[in-house]
Amino acid sequence: MEPASRPAPAEVSAGKVDPYRWVDDHGDCLYRYALARVRTPEVAEDVVQETLLVAVRSQDRFAGRSSERSWLVGSWKNKIVDYYRKLGRETSFTDMEFLKDECSHKFVEQGFWNHDLGPHEWRPEADEVMHKGEFWQTMRDCLSKLPQRVADVFMLREMDDVPSKEICAMLSISESNLWVMLHRARMALRECLEMNWFDKMNPPKGH
Amino acid sequence: MPEPYNPSPVGNPSLLKRRSWLETQVVKFIGRHTPKCPDVVRILSRGMDRKLSLKTRLFLNLHYLICRWCQRYAEQLNYLRRFSRRFPEEISNVDAFTMSPDAKDRVKRRLESGP
Repeated sequence: MEPASRPAPAEVSAGKVDPYRWVDDHGDCLYRYALARVRTPEVAEDVVQETLLVAVRSQDRFAGRSSERSWLVGSWKNKIVDYYRKLGRETSFTDMEFLKDECSHKFVEQGFWNHDLGPHEWRPEADEVMHKGEFWQTMRDCLSKLPQRVADVFMLREMDDVPSKEICAMLSISESNLWVMLHRARMALRECLEMNWFDKMNPPKGH
Repeated sequence: MPEPYNPSPVGNPSLLKRRSWLETQVVKFIGRHTPKCPDVVRILSRGMDRKLSLKTRLFLNLHYLICRWCQRYAEQLNYLRRFSRRFPEEISNVDAFTMSPDAKDRVKRRLESGP
């Protein structure tokens, strides 16, 4: 590694940035971030390209306050929100089917959980689970099973921490529609993680 | 009229579960006066986006005495949030997907051609 080809943050802010190096140094990272969100490689590439374009344009504002990586990730977050904003506002038929499912089979008629189908104890604890690579792959698989639109809403809310009202405005949906989508996403994701991770780690005994 | 709230004590993980006549009365009383489980899980999801009223939170905590399942659901929604916040970073460490050299060249050319 020649130090000469790696400008210090101060030089970057002085406009000596090398966008080629950005592609080589940060392209794959941004690409993986994007791929976990948009599902197709082509769109993920677009998001990376747009992110870097914006970064090149606004490099004057990058004064080396943070690392190059986190600055680019911040720029990436804005791009992904833009991407959602540009998406249509239709809810597909399969989404409607998903949203109508009240999971009523999990409850008995009087309105309480069926003993066998209620939430299980999650072991090991969340903190321990988060160190395991396979867990994150399970989570990725579970997210990809959600209808795209529902997954988008869930990820905007829970991953990007966009306030509910902003998501409604961005996607032109009503607040009650948003709540239904979030509720169903949480319910489905909870169940999927339980079945495909926690129950496998720690098979439920009886109830 | 649906029957009152009276889940079986067998295999029931809840704190109060009809092990005696008195406990049964308490369970049924709480069951009658707190929301049903399908409503509790909806309320809990709403609670992730806005603060619930004191009264609602009180009712939820009463409900947890007779329903460990809903209490777990509440804990797990918080887990989901923690998992989600960490997900983008963690998955980019786990997955080894890379942009193809062609794609990188395309992006470089696009950057070269300027904004």
